[in-house]
Amino acid sequence: MSTTTLDAAPRKRKPRREVREITLLVVTIAIVLGVGLIKPQFMRYDNLEFMVLSAVVLGLIAIGQTFVIMTSGIDLSVSAVMGLSAVVFGLASTTIHLPLAAALPLCLILGAVLGSFNGLLVAWVRIPPIIATLGTYSLFGGLTFIVSNGTQVDQVSNQFAAFGNANLIPGLPIPTPVLALAGVALFAWFVLNHMVFGRNILAVGNNAVAAYNAGIPVKRTLLFVYMIAGALASFGGLVFVAYTGSATATTGTGDHVELQSIAIALIGGTLISGGRGNLAGTVIGSIFLSVVITALVFLHVPAIWYSAGEGLMIVAAVTLGARRGGAG
Amino acid sequence: MNRFLPREAWDRTLAIILLVLLLAFCTLIPGFYAGFGGTLAITEQFLPFGFVAIGLAVVILTGGIDLSVGAIASLSAVIMAILTKSAGLDIWLASLIALIIGAGLGWLNGIVITRLRIEPLIATLATSFIYSSVATALAGASPPYGFGKPFAVLGSGTIEGILPVQLLMFIVIAVGFSILITRTGFGRRIIMVGYNRDAAHYAGVAVPDLLRKVYGISGFMAAFAGIVLASYYDAVRPDMGNILLLTAITMVVLGGVSIFGGEGGILGVALGVLILGVLRQGMLIAGFSDMVTTMLTGGILLVSIAAKNLLSDRGFGYGALLLRLINSRKQEAAPPNT
Repeated sequence: MSTTTLDAAPRKRKPRREVREITLLVVTIAIVLGVGLIKPQFMRYDNLEFMVLSAVVLGLIAIGQTFVIMTSGIDLSVSAVMGLSAVVFGLASTTIHLPLAAALPLCLILGAVLGSFNGLLVAWVRIPPIIATLGTYSLFGGLTFIVSNGTQVDQVSNQFAAFGNANLIPGLPIPTPVLALAGVALFAWFVLNHMVFGRNILAVGNNAVAAYNAGIPVKRTLLFVYMIAGALASFGGLVFVAYTGSATATTGTGDHVELQSIAIALIGGTLISGGRGNLAGTVIGSIFLSVVITALVFLHVPAIWYSAGEGLMIVAAVTLGARRGGAG
Repeated sequence: MNRFLPREAWDRTLAIILLVLLLAFCTLIPGFYAGFGGTLAITEQFLPFGFVAIGLAVVILTGGIDLSVGAIASLSAVIMAILTKSAGLDIWLASLIALIIGAGLGWLNGIVITRLRIEPLIATLATSFIYSSVATALAGASPPYGFGKPFAVLGSGTIEGILPVQLLMFIVIAVGFSILITRTGFGRRIIMVGYNRDAAHYAGVAVPDLLRKVYGISGFMAAFAGIVLASYYDAVRPDMGNILLLTAITMVVLGGVSIFGGEGGILGVALGVLILGVLRQGMLIAGFSDMVTTMLTGGILLVSIAAKNLLSDRGFGYGALLLRLINSRKQEAAPPNT
């Protein structure tokens, strides 16, 4: 222990955060190797690619969720936003025949608009985030059903599918979505740690009243955070359509992506009470969850137990997180 | 608590809305009014939501939330069905056991919240995953169905062919909970914890113990709703409770219970249940799709909180500000006239 607490505090916290990330990474690799030993198909390239791509979808959405949770909020509507964007993106390809260059920004803007609606409800109408996003969850979910007419949107054009499977840089075997996630994560890290907006997010999450008194534009910060969460949820939906080639009215909501994204953020070390976030943890957490779910499929664990596993993981992550938070 | 929007005013407004809604539906929607008994029978379609809402209201009054009510309803119903069908227990005994298990599951939520110090939102989210997995696993590929005539009375029976049993039970439960909240020390402590948890703690309320009981009550009511649903459909499904949550929360909030806790009453919740239920069933009878009515439920949830916030001291209160201005004008103007 050091002589002054002021000196000790930052030194104590840093290694602890890295411990969580390294543990997660080691556990993930151990699962891949362990399951790979029992079921060699698990280690095949297309399965690894599948796990990485579904981690990208989860990761994009979870980064948005991390931002929201850092403001001590929560966004239950991300899965509905993902589903609606996925369906609109699919329809843009199959029915309206929009070029990819037009459909992509259009859907991202759609997600941002839906997210800003959440932000308006939370920041200006002052509806608690859980209730506001529960309400918009059913609103957006209903819209998805209406837009898709309850049917599956499939056979998106090659141009759209290529965005999900092809490599952006020729010669490098890295699928475009992985690069997209890396870009988003790096940018999010930069925003959080090196921009005023990022510091504002943490200030609002720590103590919204104090942040307000310190002159931080609390409402605007919240609005942007929910907008980002919406846009990223939409992006996740687009990647999903691009690599699976189809979307239905229950894309996102059917798999409880909103709960998965919360679980990932918490597993990654973001505090549910806000004010502290861990983006690296979120990215590794999404790979972890994707690997765990795929491993359960390979080990023939009945699908009904997946959600129980997720529930236990949330409890474990939050309990451990609370212990750490309490100590530091 | 709230100078500009007393609870009585909110309850009165709800009662008027309910009357207007009933009159409008009876005249405008063909097939809605099917004789006195026929119209009352509509309540059977939505009162399970109401049972959940009353239990949930008690939790929300403490400032918490219970997202696991749907999963508890499903799991309890499945347990009841298995105890009767596979273990050969008497169905009423099985129902009683299922109710106790439901209360126990709620109690478990309370343990997770108070012992592990996890926020109610996250804790009940996690337990809802676990409970619904267990329900699915127990139910198996072909969930039991067909519980016999006597049991069906609970869900679709009537007294003298007019008053549905569900409605009678709902009235009794609503009155009972209303007395519990307003006339007993336990009820006042619930409100106190919701209004200011720290103050309640310093005033000597055993907060964790109270919270465990409250989540137990919520679990019990959810289980009750599950069993009524099982009786109504004469079958169980491991996902039958999933639809309950959003609508039940909307009913509680529409009933005037503050989502921050410490404010609201059971009478308002009962009115909220009837309004939202009648509205949903009316729209379904009028031919709107289930999706549209669900969207509408979400919309009503947002609008009713926004309306309450608008007039509340604790919300953003532009409306309260306006009323304050009008009131102060009135007071200035009043003395010379009288």
